[in-house]
Amino acid sequence: MDWAETISNSLKKSGISFISYVPDISIHQVTKLLDTDPYFRVVPATREEEAIGIAAGAYAVGRRSAIFMQSSGLGNCINAIGSLCIVCRLPIPMFINVRGELGEFNIAQVPMGRATRPVLDAIGVRHYTLENLNTLSDMVDGALDLCYASREPIALCLSPLLHRGSLA
Amino acid sequence: MHRFDATKVILRHIGNRPIVSNLGPTTDELWHAQDRARNFYTWGSMGLCSSMALGMALSCPDTVVALDGDGSLLMNLGTLASIGRENPENLIIIVWDNEEWGQTGHQASHTAFGTSLDQVASACGIKNTARVDSEDELEEAFCHALEAPGPWLILAKIKETEHLPYAPIEPEITLHRFRSTFEQSQNNPLTKPWMNSSKTA
Repeated sequence: MDWAETISNSLKKSGISFISYVPDISIHQVTKLLDTDPYFRVVPATREEEAIGIAAGAYAVGRRSAIFMQSSGLGNCINAIGSLCIVCRLPIPMFINVRGELGEFNIAQVPMGRATRPVLDAIGVRHYTLENLNTLSDMVDGALDLCYASREPIALCLSPLLHRGSLA
Repeated sequence: MHRFDATKVILRHIGNRPIVSNLGPTTDELWHAQDRARNFYTWGSMGLCSSMALGMALSCPDTVVALDGDGSLLMNLGTLASIGRENPENLIIIVWDNEEWGQTGHQASHTAFGTSLDQVASACGIKNTARVDSEDELEEAFCHALEAPGPWLILAKIKETEHLPYAPIEPEITLHRFRSTFEQSQNNPLTKPWMNSSKTA
């Protein structure tokens, strides 16, 4: 099973059937897989902050939801994480492809890539970095369990070591 | 038309349908008009009221009503494009348009200078729009929207007035109470709330 299928399986095991996302080429493999699987309802958003709102709405009516975005997009949605997810105790897992690290070619991706984990720390969101296929299933399953047990958003940072995806 | 009176018009016809309310006076006035389990109040996340209603509409069979505002919707116009794209029949967006940022010092908003949010909605593919200036017009448009397939955007021009006190309810209680009214959170084993984890405690 490849990394994208592993994530899809973990989402299903946790009963997460609603996905909101802003596209990213490196994790297109997983968002495309989810989009073609009838188990999932996948909704593209125009901006990451909007994706948080859409996913929060799905959860509020009883449907577990998750978000996929790029690290640049995390910068577009910090207030939503704080003033909606944290204060309402909305458990929404956020899968973030971290740019600006190994193999990066675009200088514009570097500052937000560098800030991704410190920003998550500053607002109090736990994060785990996914870089190894051997431990991927255990890490995602464990993080999703923690997310619902704590009723807090959680971040799963995807490394190019995991997906070997092209950058764009 | 004042927003508090307009809110009462909506509540008169809402039945058991869920409402999500924009931050500030919209949330406060909804609480004062009628606190109900199916009110989802917000205190922050400016701009996301209609986005949340979209996520709700795509995930439950009920008609979902958003009480948004011009200043907030201007912050997230892209969500009108998402609503047009997803095209949920069970979504009614009501925009209280006072042409100002009412809570921060009554600064004029862009709708005071020609931006028509109902026309923006139309251009985004939201086929059903209405523009109302009185409680009677609002009542007629809302009742029609409840019967005819959406999505709908009703632009309601309002005048700002004195603000009521802060809605005294905790955000996490809002979520818990609201969510527990939806059947799938109780009965669907895949979407059971956190208390029903398959793992033992």
